[in-house]
Amino acid sequence: MSAPELVGGSAADRERIAHELVTVTIDGRQVQVPKGTGLVEAAAAAGVEIPVFCYEPRVGAGIGACRMCLVEIEGMPKLQTGCTTPVTDGMVVHTAGTSEQAAAGQSATMEFLLLNHPLDCPVCDKGGECALQDLSFRYGSGKTRMTFRKRSLEKPIPISPTIALDRERCIMCFRCTRFSQEVAQDEELSAVNRGALSMIATFEDEPYRGPFSGNVTELCPVGALTSTQYRFKARPWEYEQAASVCGLCPVGCNVAVQSREGRVQRVLSRNHPEVDRGWLCDKGRFSYSHLYSEERILTPRRRGVRELEELGWEQALDELEGMIERAQGEVVLALSGSETLELAYALAKIVRQGAGSDRVVLPEQAADALDPFRVPISALAEAEEIVVFEECPVLDRAPLIELWLKQARRNGAHVTRIGPSGDIQRGRGEAALACQELAEKESALGKRLRAAERAILLWSGGGGAGGCHLAALAHALGLHEKEGSGALLLPASPNARGVAEAWAAAGDENRQPRQIGLLVVSGDEAASEPQVRQLAEHARATVALTLFAGDSGEWADLVLPATGYLERSGTMRNLEGRLQRLRGATGSPARRELSWLAELAGRLGVDLPGSEAALFTELSAKVLDGISLASLGDRAPLPPRVEAQTFEAARAESPPTLLGGPLELIRYRALFSGPEVEHVPELSFQRPAAEVEISPEDADRRGISGGNEVVVRSNGTRVTLRARINAALLPGMVRVAAEHCAELARGVEVSRP
Amino acid sequence: MTGLFAEIQAVAGRYPEPKSAVLPALRLAQEHYGHLTPEALREVASALGTTPAYCRGIASFYDMFHLAPVGEHMIDVCTNASCALVGAAQVLEAFERELGIRAGETTPDGRITLRSAECLGGCGSGTVVSIDERYRQPVKPEDVPAIVEELRRG
Amino acid sequence: MAKAKHPILVLAGAEQGDLRALEDYRRAGGYASLEKARKLGPGATLEQIKQAAVRGRGGAGFQMGQKASFLPSPGQAKSPIYLVVNADESEPGAFKDREIINRVPHRLIEGIQIAALAIGAERCFVYIRGEYLSEYEVLSAALAEAEAAKLVSVPILVHRGAGAYICGEETALLESLEGKRGQPRSKPPFPALVGLYNSPTLINNVETIATVPKVIELGGEAYAKIGVKDSTGTRVFSLSGDVVRGGNYELPHGTSFRELIYDCGGGIAAGRKLKAIIPGGSSSPVLPADQVDLSMDFDSVQKAGSFLGSASVIVIDERACMVQLALRIGQFYMNESCGKCTPCREGTRWIEMILRKIEQGRASHAELDLLADVCDRVLGKCLCALGDSDAMAVASYVKHFRAEFEAHIEQGGCPYGDTSSLAGVRSPVDEIYRGRIGQEAAL
Ligand SMILES: Cc1cc2nc3c(=O)[nH]c(=O)nc-3n(C[C@H](O)[C@H](O)[C@H](O)COP(=O)(O)O)c2cc1C
Ligand code: SF4
Ligand code: FES
Repeated sequence: MSAPELVGGSAADRERIAHELVTVTIDGRQVQVPKGTGLVEAAAAAGVEIPVFCYEPRVGAGIGACRMCLVEIEGMPKLQTGCTTPVTDGMVVHTAGTSEQAAAGQSATMEFLLLNHPLDCPVCDKGGECALQDLSFRYGSGKTRMTFRKRSLEKPIPISPTIALDRERCIMCFRCTRFSQEVAQDEELSAVNRGALSMIATFEDEPYRGPFSGNVTELCPVGALTSTQYRFKARPWEYEQAASVCGLCPVGCNVAVQSREGRVQRVLSRNHPEVDRGWLCDKGRFSYSHLYSEERILTPRRRGVRELEELGWEQALDELEGMIERAQGEVVLALSGSETLELAYALAKIVRQGAGSDRVVLPEQAADALDPFRVPISALAEAEEIVVFEECPVLDRAPLIELWLKQARRNGAHVTRIGPSGDIQRGRGEAALACQELAEKESALGKRLRAAERAILLWSGGGGAGGCHLAALAHALGLHEKEGSGALLLPASPNARGVAEAWAAAGDENRQPRQIGLLVVSGDEAASEPQVRQLAEHARATVALTLFAGDSGEWADLVLPATGYLERSGTMRNLEGRLQRLRGATGSPARRELSWLAELAGRLGVDLPGSEAALFTELSAKVLDGISLASLGDRAPLPPRVEAQTFEAARAESPPTLLGGPLELIRYRALFSGPEVEHVPELSFQRPAAEVEISPEDADRRGISGGNEVVVRSNGTRVTLRARINAALLPGMVRVAAEHCAELARGVEVSRP
Repeated sequence: MTGLFAEIQAVAGRYPEPKSAVLPALRLAQEHYGHLTPEALREVASALGTTPAYCRGIASFYDMFHLAPVGEHMIDVCTNASCALVGAAQVLEAFERELGIRAGETTPDGRITLRSAECLGGCGSGTVVSIDERYRQPVKPEDVPAIVEELRRG
Repeated sequence: MAKAKHPILVLAGAEQGDLRALEDYRRAGGYASLEKARKLGPGATLEQIKQAAVRGRGGAGFQMGQKASFLPSPGQAKSPIYLVVNADESEPGAFKDREIINRVPHRLIEGIQIAALAIGAERCFVYIRGEYLSEYEVLSAALAEAEAAKLVSVPILVHRGAGAYICGEETALLESLEGKRGQPRSKPPFPALVGLYNSPTLINNVETIATVPKVIELGGEAYAKIGVKDSTGTRVFSLSGDVVRGGNYELPHGTSFRELIYDCGGGIAAGRKLKAIIPGGSSSPVLPADQVDLSMDFDSVQKAGSFLGSASVIVIDERACMVQLALRIGQFYMNESCGKCTPCREGTRWIEMILRKIEQGRASHAELDLLADVCDRVLGKCLCALGDSDAMAVASYVKHFRAEFEAHIEQGGCPYGDTSSLAGVRSPVDEIYRGRIGQEAAL
């Protein structure tokens, strides 16, 4: 039975109530459930199903709209809705199974729902997984008494490039609008009109724009809201489904990757209640089609006279082997934080043991300093106080965390953001200082944090040392001693820590070569790093393993096709420290890395197991205390907290001086950016606008108003962007998405053209 | 910042939460723009800190908001039970004849919109007709030409 | 207005003219009750209200004092307590709240202040239907005067609706007041515990609240002696339809329909015969003419198979085609359904479609049975009482006037031809569902 959903009251109240048990009788079966449990859940606990359409506890308490869950409760004259009724001690309930009245209620609802519903199941994408279809088989009468023309409405209209709405099929359960209003809080989707004219709509012809919009396609119990990418592709029963995790950000949402004929057809949530609660961001949901972009490289390529030329695998491995030999141990491995532990380990082994090098470039490190303060992400929902050191917007780093923060606020938590556009405005590089002050100085916030039973600290951006600063504060607040309190760091990449562990597992030394004989770049993420690019310029030879040749194609001598995270098996460690399994979809148009890495290892005399599972076993023995893959299961557990040590608070560094202009440029990697998004045309409407955010003060001083075209300039470089006034932004700062300010330095000036 | 924006914010200040002021805000915007144009909805949304989609969801729920152009004058003829019993149909027909339009339409010159209405709360002396939100009652078919004449002149 | 042989309470003092000006109201004894209540204090004031056993005048007839006692006591409440006055009055046949606001606005304000004192409310809201522009102005002016005279200690905000009958339903009203679409909330929890902004809230009808000053003036016990058992006090009856003198008449509960229709209303013109009575607004099932001697109190009317509801009495004479009347009422509910719950959204539309087919003489006998069955399938399954109202009302026309429905089917049209008093009646749904000006796209 899922946890009861209680409305209102403090977390402590909810906990106290949850400990009181009540006894209810449902269709003659007695069950004991915590007080406050909903009737639908209590029935489930008794093994009785109460069918529902509009009820979906994740979008909020029941609203009693669809009337599918009507039941008879002894002592009540009218039928009641199971979805809105919390059970009380001694309650005796009869569902449609044992009450004629309830059954009549349900069959009435069914008839009304089907009255205007088109019978287009054969061409509906929801067919096979439609709640209406399923329940009408079970509760419907099978024939219609409706003799009038059914309501006919414009057949599917795109409410965004990714989502289609078929209003004829809509049963007005308001799941989607409640999601938009209450969960995502974007308020882009709303019901319009009244009565029989009611329908779901966005504003005018504008798209549903919001980072979480795609969830409505899974929430919709009928085929009214469907994904445009998936339209008419396949039937649910035709899939092969893999229980995997998303590899695009450090949250690691649990996903079901559904594929057919070797192609991923869609990505759905798999609901890990501690991690994602069944939500996905649109990047995680819709970007899978980048795998089938024409620009993806599927064969090895070598730098020819003018450009990259294709070559066979045999030749490519010869080439690579030669490169390694010629480098004579002067090999540097640049690892993306998006690789799996296994792949990183295999590469590390080849580089360390086969090429005799111990030099690595790791992604921004997520230290283990926070392990004593480990909490599941879901603890945010129960927290009383949350402080976010937000130098990079949480949404762009770890989108699901933003949803959890909204939920926390709905549940009554205080959420305080500290950063350039926070509730407490602090400049860039001042997060550490703010941490220190909070630990040392008396403040209202500090008092609340100390008093709270459940307090959580979050660090989003602001350098890899963040973990240490945060740990010092968490320790000072005693968060390690309070269950439900803790601290989390949101790293820049999905598996930074896992990759570092994998590197360490393959050897224990880090050496600095004088020169770079060969640079091995693994993954598009590393390939896009300016630092890696600089190394490539100094290297005598470079090999890159990437999906796309966008970055690496400019400087690599050899480009080998990589597989994407949806095609891979392996493990990743998310921001909580949870080790989760990826299980790739069947089939990939590109050759799997492990197959040719094993071949290469053989040539180099390295003993490299050929399967992810065997690699894991080997690596686990070295750095993971020998835990088994099986112990991770389908929904991985959170490792226990480690003992807290005393912390040497890292010294807060003073922010570097600005060069190039008086305004500090905050360059951020927007959620909808990167190669996985750039190759999906349906997502282009979500990509960051070419704009510069500026504070009202700075805008005024320069005679700039919102929407103006402005020039942003530094060191002789200039870009033209549109100005957006952000009243929350600290004066002296401007914000631009990384893709619109590639060449600018940290200090800029903004002016009218 | 326009006058409307400031006015809306002032009204919002009287409520415990700004969003509660969405009805008065939409009313002000409708007075300002004639009907609730997309631009009007955007302005209301930004003044109340919500979205135009939300505001349209609200506006479309209520009969007194217009999302498409309406005449300068609005005639609502109650046709509900009590008025119907005492001749609302004939009153509505008289208006249609006099204006040369059907209920639900606006005169071609854009001056007058005619609608039939649900109970307006004047049942004791029907037929009740609301003209630009002011009630006239009882209205008999023979009163209609003078009323229309008055609107046309005014 | 009725002659003074009955006690006039709510409209007291307004027999000769309006009491809009504070001065006039005071001269008629106004605001003395508020002073009295202040002396009594919250507990004793609430006790008077309970003793008076005032049943809600908005429709459901729940005892005001009892409802108030479900509220947490001010000391215990975790959030502010609110008082909300329902002035949305949109039920076909009802126009008494308008009269009260127009003629004795200060009595309403005084009632609000006393009730707010009794329950420890922090703020009061009056939700007045949008169409009542003049009444809004009258009430606002009176409020401004009362505020200037320092008579208002608990602030009152008058909030205008914008044209949606459902916003009279108490929880839809709260949603609308919070700036949301006016769709009812599932109950429980009741507003007394989780109301406006999730705070404890007492919601009462204008007339209920306007009764309070008289309760305090007379004392609860004395008040309870007026009227009949379980329907205490007087009622402002809205009389309309086929009567000579329609209007509001304040009479004690227990008066008969006959007295209201014939003594006060002057009966039916030209000696026409009474055919039926709608006793409590369009939501209440119609009563055939033989019920004319029924006592107008909650229990008697309920025993007769209907409701006293908002005490809006619509008189129907022999010229009316009951199918047309049922259709017009069915169209009203279809038009006003909020669209939230399935049976109401779909059922009210289906009922209207069948009714129209019958009225046009195109339906079969099977469809008449279907109509009754659809009503039955809506009844008792909806989120709020709107769907029930439609189902009950329409079913009552079929029940009492089945022969007329059958005649339409058999004769292929209205047996009255053009002579029905309702011939040619139209409704907004005719326009809206054809694509009305200013409305969203139609179906
Ligand atoms: C569809 C519907 C419409 C209603 N409209 C009104 C109304 O216009 N005025 C009113 O006072 N009560 C109306 N009510 C009743 C209210 O829900 C509520 O019972 C009443 O305001 C409580 O006040 P009272 O106890 O003083 O009667 C309506 C109920 C329903 C179901
Ligand atoms: S579109 Fe789907 S989710 Fe939204 S109200 Fe309709 S049926 Fe419900
Ligand atoms: S599930 Fe309960 S009313 Fe929809």
